[in-house]
Formats: sequence, structure tokens, C-alpha cells
Amino acid sequence: MAETPHTSEKDAIPFYPDHVRTEFRVTVGITIVLLLIGMIGLFSPVGLGQPADPMDTPAHIKPEWYFLALYQLLKYIDKTVGATLPVIAIGLLALWPFLDRKPDRRTKAKRSRLIAVSIAIVVLIVMTIWGEVS
Amino acid sequence: MRHISRKIILISIALALVMVPGTVGFITTHAGAFSSLDQADQVTNRAELDQIRILLSQPESKEKDATASVILPRPEKDPCLHCHISGENKNLWTPFIRWSIFSGVGLVFAYGLYRSTSTWRTRAPWKPIPKRAAEWIDDRYQISEPLSRALKKPVPKFALHWWYCLGGITAFLFLVQGVTGIMLAFYYKPTPEAAYASIQYIETQVRFGSAIRMIHHWGSNGMIVMCIAHMLRVFIMGAYKSPRELNWVSGVLLLALTLAFGFTGYLLPWDQRAYWATTVGTEIAGSIPGIGNLALVFLRVGWDVGALTLSRFYSLHVLVIPLATVILMLAHFLMVRRQGVARPL
Repeated sequence: MAETPHTSEKDAIPFYPDHVRTEFRVTVGITIVLLLIGMIGLFSPVGLGQPADPMDTPAHIKPEWYFLALYQLLKYIDKTVGATLPVIAIGLLALWPFLDRKPDRRTKAKRSRLIAVSIAIVVLIVMTIWGEVS
Repeated sequence: MRHISRKIILISIALALVMVPGTVGFITTHAGAFSSLDQADQVTNRAELDQIRILLSQPESKEKDATASVILPRPEKDPCLHCHISGENKNLWTPFIRWSIFSGVGLVFAYGLYRSTSTWRTRAPWKPIPKRAAEWIDDRYQISEPLSRALKKPVPKFALHWWYCLGGITAFLFLVQGVTGIMLAFYYKPTPEAAYASIQYIETQVRFGSAIRMIHHWGSNGMIVMCIAHMLRVFIMGAYKSPRELNWVSGVLLLALTLAFGFTGYLLPWDQRAYWATTVGTEIAGSIPGIGNLALVFLRVGWDVGALTLSRFYSLHVLVIPLATVILMLAHFLMVRRQGVARPL
């Protein structure tokens, strides 16, 4: 789809100062949130567990939350498949624009992608929660 | 003749302006400094004796120990700069602040003098210094024309919804992670013996250390959330389609790098959670068919998680991955800049 890279003046705002001002406000908001988080950290720090001991395997090992879904999946499927799956998934994701080459003509494609993403997200969240409580 | 007299007047005004506050400053600072030195001997001696007497009477008290360590050496024997910064005068009027105030006032005088003389001499209105600096740089590098073209580039109005912010928020959080990460790296020691203790030191001894660590911890989580949200937005709107394929590829690589940041950073506290999460995580990488063992050995630097794993993860976390991220981010932004924001249907 050949788009013109330059938009006309009518339906656009200048990058500086109008858009920069908006972005500055967003960064100020995030900075305030982060400072509040830091203030909470002064009273209840992130903390540490027991020092690492290679001789003593704890009963429940859990990775960070963003690997929990994969971790939960690995309990039920073969290890080789479970290790290869994320690599293939990332590769497929990276190459997706080359697989899905048809330009959008109607909003129907957008809606079907939205539904697919929603299902994937729900599955991921369920797996993560399952991994957290199990 | 007229010129000479004008110069003499100018020089004398300049001298007066510099000398009067200078002399006042010199007298005030040095009078105070020297007068305190005369009595310093007796006073500190008496104070020292008092402290020693208290110490001898109550040797087991810990509070007295703390006061004993506060005894200052005599000013002329003080090897450190303590007394020059906050020693002899306990109030605001310390030598450092005196110097700051007088040099600040002197700079203001020098600026005013320069401004008046130059207006008088050139008979032209005063040009502000930032404007002069900009002109000086522009004379040499011709930067203002391309810069203003870049800044004036229009942003389409459809790109003003909140969900177009997600990528920018990710980039901003990356900057925050960089700053707080550098602050933590000042105190962190990447060895199995010292890592745990250095994190404890950051959390308990370093001023605002626990706040910085908290921001780094939650900033990393926020960065992953924002990165995924940005990717979903791009995916749903179909903004990855031609001609923006490479931007999508660089974005996926950036997501992988963000996850790698999380994975390598998780080991650094060197507690049980970190150690065993890394053991299991590298084990999963080890069961990839074909390159599994290679990946395992590359990540662990050997067959077990140990000192070399820690230093490898640390160098990946603070050197390799940030460098790759910065390069990919620049490419990502340049491509967006070149192609513009994708127009939604």
C-alpha cells in the first residue's frame, strides 16, 4: 500500500511544540508514578530471599511472571517441544508481516485480529495465574 | 584623548565593581576563619578531654562510642577537607557557600559590566547570550535549518489517541531503567561472595537505595507490559503491513531483548529465587534440539550456574543488551520517522 509519507498541514499538528508538549506531559505523569513507587520502596523495599545455595533445591521454583505461562506449559508437554515452541513462536512473530502480505481493505480484518489477540491474551493470563497459584 | 579617558573610566569602574565585593568577601571570610583558629586549640582540647572523661566513666555505652568518633582533629592537623566544607562553621555560612555566593555575585557583576560596555561601544541593542551561542554554532555547523525541518514535521491528528503513546512510554521507561541501573551499578558487585551483601547494602545503607531498586524493579515490569501492549496495538491495527515490515521485525527483536533484560537481571541479586530460576531457565534453553547444549554452555559458562554465570549475566545485562537495544531503538525510531505513523482504516 503506497502511502504518502507527508501528511498535509490541515489534518496535522506540528511536532514541535504541540506534540512535544503532549509527550512531555505523559513523561511527567510516568515520572510521578515512578517516584511514588520509589517512595513506597523506602518503606517496604523489594527485599531479598535466602542467599543462593547450590546444594539446597527449594520446593517451589518460580520464574518471573512473564515466563510463568511458558513454565506452566512445560509441566504438561514434552520438554523438547516446550523449549522449541517459544523459539518458533518468536520467529513466526518476527516474520509475520512477510506471511500476511494482503493489505487491509475493510475493518473486518482488524476485527478478526482483535479477536485472535484477545483469545491469545486470555489464554496467556489464565496460564500465568495457573502457574502462580499452582 | 577622549578615548583614553573613556577607557580609564571603564577600567576603574570595573576594578571597583570587582574589588569592592572581593575585598568585603575576603575580609568576612578570613576574619572568621583566623579568629576561630586562635581559640581552636583550647576549645578542642577541652572538648577532647571531656569526651575522654565521659568515655572512661562509661566504656560500655554504645552512644558514647558514637560521640567519641565525632571528635574532630585540630583544624591545622585535619588531613581531610571536612573542616573546609562543613567544619568550623556549622551554620549555612560555610566556606563553600561563601565562595559560591561571592563568585555568583561576581559573575552577575561581570555579565552586567560586559553588557553595558558592549551596548555603549557598539550603539546597538543587546543580543541575548543564548541567541549569540546559537548563531555561533550555526555559523560553523549549519544546524538550524535541518533541525527546524525535523522539529516542524507534522504529526497527523489520527495519531493523537492514547494508544499511540505506548511505544514512547516503553522508550521512556528504558531511559529510566538506564539511569536507575547506573545508580545501582555504582554499588553492585557481580561476584557470588559479594552480590547478595551488596544488594543488602543498597537496600539498607545507601541513601534512597531501596527507592532506586524499587523503581528499577517495577520499571522493568512496566517496560515489558508497555512493550507487549505496544506490539498488540500495532498488530491489531495492522500497522506492520507493507511498507513497515522491517519496523515490525526490529520491534519483535526489541521485545526479545526486553525479555532478555528481565531474564539476566533476575539472577543478579543472587538469592535462592534468582539462582534456581536461572538454573531452570537455562535448563529449558538447554533442551532445544540441536543447539541445546551449546545454548546451555553459552549461558552458564560451564555446566553449572556459578561465578562465571553471574559475571556473564551481569555483562550481558549492563553492556551487551543495552547497546543492542539502543541501536535497534534508533533504527526503530528512524524508520517511524521516515515512513510516518500508519493510517488506521
